[in-house]
Amino acid sequence: MNRLPIHLVVNKEDYHLFVKPNRVLLDVLREDLELTGTKEGCGLGKCGACTVLLNGRPVHACLTLALQVDGCEITTIEGIGGEKMHPLQEAFVDKGAIQCGFCTPGMINTAKALLDENANPSEEEIKQAIAGNLCRCTGYNKIVDAIHSCGCQSKKKKGGIK
Amino acid sequence: MRIRPFDFKVATSLADALNQLDQAGSNARVLAGGTDLVLNMKKKNILPSTLISLHPIKNLEYVEEKNEMIHIGALAKHADLAIHPILEKYVSILCQAVGLIGSWQVRNIGTIGGNLCNASPAADAVPPLLALDAAVVIATLQGEKTVPINSFFCGPGQTVMKPNEILKEILIKKPLKPSAGCYLKLRRRKAVDISLAGVAFQAESDPSGQRIEQVKIALGGVAPTAIRVPDAENCLVGLSIEDAFQKIPMCADKAANAAKPIDDVRATADYKRTIVNVFVQRCAQHVLTTLKNYRGQS
Repeated sequence: MNRLPIHLVVNKEDYHLFVKPNRVLLDVLREDLELTGTKEGCGLGKCGACTVLLNGRPVHACLTLALQVDGCEITTIEGIGGEKMHPLQEAFVDKGAIQCGFCTPGMINTAKALLDENANPSEEEIKQAIAGNLCRCTGYNKIVDAIHSCGCQSKKKKGGIK
Repeated sequence: MRIRPFDFKVATSLADALNQLDQAGSNARVLAGGTDLVLNMKKKNILPSTLISLHPIKNLEYVEEKNEMIHIGALAKHADLAIHPILEKYVSILCQAVGLIGSWQVRNIGTIGGNLCNASPAADAVPPLLALDAAVVIATLQGEKTVPINSFFCGPGQTVMKPNEILKEILIKKPLKPSAGCYLKLRRRKAVDISLAGVAFQAESDPSGQRIEQVKIALGGVAPTAIRVPDAENCLVGLSIEDAFQKIPMCADKAANAAKPIDDVRATADYKRTIVNVFVQRCAQHVLTTLKNYRGQS
């Protein structure tokens, strides 16, 4: 099984890699790029722990072959926020939406994609969006609160600009 | 969970994919979104020698109106179809169904062509397409052929497609008269679960919105393939909308009787049959009410 060349833009950095066909994006991110923020939960596309953004949209890194996303832009949790935490990350901390933290990278990625699409989602829209991200600690209420508060903040900011 | 080694080829066009698929032999598979295929490769249910990835082919993701037909490219993603304005305008039942497939993560990469070719008896896109009398266009080395969706599936996981053929697009006739549709799906939990049963109900009235001219009901997950239930449909055809409301229980009984569910790990056959009955009633109520409300608007 030959390694084949791919070009990925991960967190705005270019990577030219040689990858075996049977490796999923999750393995390449964690093992080759050492971006271990993305977690493997079930490995079967059920838990959402491996959620990354593919061209801005959440997908399961565990069910996506690395070669399949040649040329695409990938955002992992390491690419969200910078020197300072992203407002979503701050909201998760403020609202106590993190306990063990294993689901958090996937959860934040999904939430970010939601807020990029819809700056002020309703509670129902948030629940729909994170339906594919399982959390076994928090009971979801605090996660929904955190995303909701972030949505409200961005609305306030927009209102302020006007 | 490791995937067994295989060869990976990239197709740059549909014609290229057909050629490569033909050369690679019958154990080769075409890769679209991969949400089913990669999962099955992980579980060692499918062990292809070669994958031919369609990811560089960008011109098969379309939704277009051409005369009386709507054309949907096989590589159109569920998330895009669920909110597509053309589909919402003419065949909202399909938007409802694909919006219920898997999770957001799955809908963002999974394709409608993949959903059909995977041929799960519980695939959510299938009952609405049956209820819309859709057809699929299959690309072969010899040219294209059109197959009605009701003769596309042969059994669980099986379609009429040969190993060297590729699904190109889905064709749906635009409803010309007032029409409404509803898709309901039963799951063990509210989100991200396979259907235990799915009911698609599509009806058309005469232009004045008085009389039901056409009813199409399709059931998913309760037979080896999704099925239409003509006996149940005929209960309502030709009736005024008011009379049709009265006949809903009879229609639902006939649909439930036509279902052939099996006991499995998810639910018993009896339960699935009962659910078909309930869902046909709910769908019918919703669709007939929508049609009634069209009166005077056109």
